[in-house]
Amino acid sequence: MRDVNFKALVLGLGNPILSDDGIGCHVAAALKERLQETEADVLEAGIAGLDFLDLMTGYDKVIIIDAIQTGEGAPGQIYRLDLEAFNGTRHAASPHDVNFATALELGRRLGMPLPSHIDIFAIEVADTSCFSEECTPEVSEVIPLCVEMIVQELRSSTLKT
Amino acid sequence: MKKITIDPITRLEGHGRIEIFLNDEGDVENAYLQIPELRGFEKFCEGRPVEEMPRITPRICGVCPGAHHMASTKATDAVYHVDPPPAARKLRELFYCAHMIHSHIAHFYALAAPDFVLGPMSDPAERNILGLVSKVGLEVGGEVIKHRAYAQDIQAVIGGKATHPVCGLPGGMSKPITEEERKDFEEKAKSEVEFGKFGLKLFDDLVLANKEYLELITGDIYTMNSYYMGMVDDNNKVNFYDGNLRVVDPAGKEVAKFKPADYLDHIAEHTEPWSYLKFPFLKKVGWKGMVDGNDSGVFRVNSLARLNVADGMATPLAQAEYEKMFETLGGKPVHATLAFHWARLIEILYAAERLLELCRDDEITSPEVRTIPTATPDEGVGVIEAPRGVLIHHYQTDDRGIIEKVNLIVATVMNNPAMNISVRRAARGLIKKGQVASEGLLNMVEMAFRAYDPCMACATHTLPGQMPLEVIIYNCKREVIERFSRL
Repeated sequence: MRDVNFKALVLGLGNPILSDDGIGCHVAAALKERLQETEADVLEAGIAGLDFLDLMTGYDKVIIIDAIQTGEGAPGQIYRLDLEAFNGTRHAASPHDVNFATALELGRRLGMPLPSHIDIFAIEVADTSCFSEECTPEVSEVIPLCVEMIVQELRSSTLKT
Repeated sequence: MKKITIDPITRLEGHGRIEIFLNDEGDVENAYLQIPELRGFEKFCEGRPVEEMPRITPRICGVCPGAHHMASTKATDAVYHVDPPPAARKLRELFYCAHMIHSHIAHFYALAAPDFVLGPMSDPAERNILGLVSKVGLEVGGEVIKHRAYAQDIQAVIGGKATHPVCGLPGGMSKPITEEERKDFEEKAKSEVEFGKFGLKLFDDLVLANKEYLELITGDIYTMNSYYMGMVDDNNKVNFYDGNLRVVDPAGKEVAKFKPADYLDHIAEHTEPWSYLKFPFLKKVGWKGMVDGNDSGVFRVNSLARLNVADGMATPLAQAEYEKMFETLGGKPVHATLAFHWARLIEILYAAERLLELCRDDEITSPEVRTIPTATPDEGVGVIEAPRGVLIHHYQTDDRGIIEKVNLIVATVMNNPAMNISVRRAARGLIKKGQVASEGLLNMVEMAFRAYDPCMACATHTLPGQMPLEVIIYNCKREVIERFSRL
């Protein structure tokens, strides 16, 4: 049976009017249709840095969906990442806001009730510089697959053994 | 599972870049700042109803959605020739003060303060907000988060959404605030005023009390004698929401004051083959290349520019701090680029005081927040002081209000010529005889442009969660000799 006290948040990041950049938002929108309200809160946001802290506070698990450009993968490739993937960048400052890992570390040091599980679904993208409400075809194609992966992830993690 | 480590340097495009070219002697011949540009926004907007623009334009940028929303809303007022009722104007300004506080806090505490509190040459692993709270105390971090959250709460209640506001309509606002909300805002505003005072005290203790830092701020490598542009109210005081645009020359003398709708008479744009971004300049002074001084039309916007063009601040505590800054730095105008940070702190205090005033205004809970437009829409300009400086939205529509033409000039673009000059000057002052290799020195070059709080693009969220910056140094044969990335 499901643990009713377990609070999960799905956070689709990106700019929904900037081609593939908005893939996280598109997946989140599709998830809203697919999930029952009790399974997770689903949000779409174009945010960075310290704003993460406000949104994540109070959740047990957070799933982030975002665009990524590794420069190596094919557009549409889905990566499952954890925070360790960001260790190399944790302590660096960015031109306009702190990065994700720094924000989380700050929140932890301040004793904020942050999620113990953070999973990241990153989708390799091609175009993040042209204004359009549509993603490129290779990236759009994987939305249903990514939605299913996240549904499975949520259902397996909220089941009590 | 394959383990992946994210290396921003592998991003092929979309990051900012500083390129430094050395001459035969190993001194800096030239330096360029390049910022990626997003494409096709005008096309994207054409054919849409103009009242959609206040909801679309905040999406341009994850960093300053509130500024785009307000500039756009004001432009739609102008397109429909409608004046919002007083309560709507006040509510917009209240929202906007919260936006300024929210944005300025992040910039100062996360990006500017580490350079001063930990030192510009300190270990980059420590030179960040985590290092900052280790040094000045965890409770400071808590206050930063709390006061950002307060400002965000106010924006969310008025704006209707946590991140991308939807409250502005042609002729006013979508809904008034309740007395209960007003009371909550008032408590938060009081706390913001205290936090504003705290920021200036911290700056006093940690930066001004340190002779070395004061010398750094006033030193040649971070000085630029430019024109300044900013918005002022009827009394020539700083105003973020509304007023005329005023321009002062490098001696501080007013050379222009104009209605925002007349911006094309005063601002022109130069292009360079090596840059996606344009280079705005003062039309009446002219483009003389990437140089400062009286004869060059290069001007600056953002916090220090606003204080330089104004005769003062409209609130008492901020006014006292304004006087102190100009007295300390040798009178108006201040040309020290690093003083943008100081001015930003004064603006946090002003925004907080103004926020509190508006929360206590009798009219602020009035239900009269909308004038329904009746005129035929055609063309309009909306201007606001974004946290990063003057932001212009200009729309032309057909008689049904369908967009035919859009022109936006954003603050980071206005500062583009100045940022290039500042980066070049810092590079020349710091890199001598090819002795470039230290990360700390390059950080000091970056400090020259970080002071402008540039908003480099809108893909701030794309993993790993920020826009990387790359610094490349070439020798006299144009061969890459150093490459650093700010992750």
